[in-house]
Amino acid sequence: MTTRTRYFVFGSLLVLTVGVATGLVAYYTGFSTSAFTSVGGPDELKYLPRNANLVAYSNVRDVMTSGLRERLRQILPNQPNGQQEFQNETGINIEADIDLVVAALAPQSGGPEAFPATGLVLARGRFDQVKIEALMREHGATVDEYKGIRLITGPTSAANTAGAANAVSLAFVEPGLVALGSTFLVRNAIDLKAGGDNVTANEELMNLVRSLENGNSWAVGRFDAIASQAKLPSGLAERLPPITWFSATTQIDTGVSGVLRVEARDETSANNLRDVVRGFLALAKLEVGQRPELQAMVQSLQLGGTGTTVSLSFNLPGDLFDLLGNLATGTIAPKSL
Amino acid sequence: MTSTPSTARPERASHVDASRRAQPSFWTASFRVFDLSLGQMLWSRRSVFLAIMVVGPVLLAVILHFVTGLAPGNVPRINGARISGATIFGFMIWWLYIYVIVPVLGVFYGTSLIADEVDDKTITYLFVRPIPRAAVLVGKYLSYLVCTTLLILPSVMVVYFLIVPINGGQIGAQFPSLLADLGMLFGGLASYGAVFALVGARMKRPLVVGLIYAFGWEKGVQFFPGYLRRATVQYYLQGLVPHTMPQDSAVSLLLDFFREIPTVATSIVGLAVICGLALWLAGRAVERREYVLEQ
Repeated sequence: MTTRTRYFVFGSLLVLTVGVATGLVAYYTGFSTSAFTSVGGPDELKYLPRNANLVAYSNVRDVMTSGLRERLRQILPNQPNGQQEFQNETGINIEADIDLVVAALAPQSGGPEAFPATGLVLARGRFDQVKIEALMREHGATVDEYKGIRLITGPTSAANTAGAANAVSLAFVEPGLVALGSTFLVRNAIDLKAGGDNVTANEELMNLVRSLENGNSWAVGRFDAIASQAKLPSGLAERLPPITWFSATTQIDTGVSGVLRVEARDETSANNLRDVVRGFLALAKLEVGQRPELQAMVQSLQLGGTGTTVSLSFNLPGDLFDLLGNLATGTIAPKSL
Repeated sequence: MTSTPSTARPERASHVDASRRAQPSFWTASFRVFDLSLGQMLWSRRSVFLAIMVVGPVLLAVILHFVTGLAPGNVPRINGARISGATIFGFMIWWLYIYVIVPVLGVFYGTSLIADEVDDKTITYLFVRPIPRAAVLVGKYLSYLVCTTLLILPSVMVVYFLIVPINGGQIGAQFPSLLADLGMLFGGLASYGAVFALVGARMKRPLVVGLIYAFGWEKGVQFFPGYLRRATVQYYLQGLVPHTMPQDSAVSLLLDFFREIPTVATSIVGLAVICGLALWLAGRAVERREYVLEQ
């Protein structure tokens, strides 16, 4: 073996050894390249508790000004007036006042384990604090002070046996940022303002958040925890695939594109899940064979993933919503689908 | 007088001993051929082609890494949806390494192990040495395996570290799949090399036959139902790939219908059998065939 051949062999082995060693260290210590970058996700995450089972984010401004929303408004002009009702109750105009929303579901110790006791929504935007407080007081809300921040607690319904523990509160945790949700979680958000163990310390969840934050709406959640909290019928709960984490990210502009991703408990479960999805995709592709307008949508469904990860990306073009609108208004007969 | 035979017998015995000493064992001979061939293989004209095969994916990974690093909005999309670095890496493993690089290297290097010596009319020099002819083939096969493995695996490693962190990917979380990839690629190089070494040892125009096999038979038979696909290397390689096969319209629809992925154990046994059988047959062919050198 000549000297240059020997150098080549040692060089290649060195690259392999360094790579394997780095990978092993990363695998066992959880070190990631993103450790050198920012925490990831919106700043509002610091107000969410570390044990959050679900974290969701939406850039409301992007969504509200998107071409898709405009198209949907034209297609379906008679929508339920929930937005107006919300404005009447809280004085917040979702369309004009809110820039972004971050929401979370988190279990609370010693309290009821069902929504809304476990829910918190943080909205950033432009709010008239005095007007909102006055409106809520008109509806029977009471105002307390907690760590120098006014905590507006809504009336507890008579049917609600959980009482105050299940009450909904609102607080302006910082200028332009309102926290709305269970009193427990709103107080917790105020506590976290001074620092503490927030969701950004949950490395497993934050890894997923970092991989999703490019979309204008996303959600990450612990599937098994949420499923157990949802009190599903025993038969259904047993048939659910063994999924630990799920995540979804969407980009809403003139259409909707996104990726759904789940983490299965093991590779066998992931492979089984991939097989099921693959089967559905093949069936869907056959079903839409005669409908070119739907073919683009079905062809856009891409199954992916590695190891325990199963992902499905999709792209719903704006034209598809026109088609659905026509179906809803009866312009196209549903059976032709 | 009586001493003559007694002195002749030790002379004959020492001659036989010397002859045995001169003829190394099969594996020693293989190692010597390996040692000689590795340098020849690495620094030959064919190495330019090998370099392109290795550097191409790395360059692509460097460009992707820096383009997405400069602006996160540049992350590649599939149908408008941004895809993770791990998914891109999975695509690269499928489309670049499994479908192209490994079979191409197998064809070009595997078929040339013996054919090049015949073309250069240098095979005689190897065959007149006091070593088994099959040891020549095995030694050259080992040099092919070491040469391609030491080039391809570091290339995959570099691509992994450049691509996986894109769009928030975690190098640690995906590391077990990288090890599976490295093992799978080694298995692919070993199997394709053995198959094409057999083609090179038996056929007259091994490169043409090899290309038809790698890109005609191996690809085409995947679309047919039945057991035919089990006679391909790719069938067993698919069982070792930790990444989901890319989905693309008509091709994926057909593959979905006829899809049958063997278990990891079946794949490993299948590749080992292909490798062993092909090498044994290639060795037999080299031992028995009379190579006529064109003047």
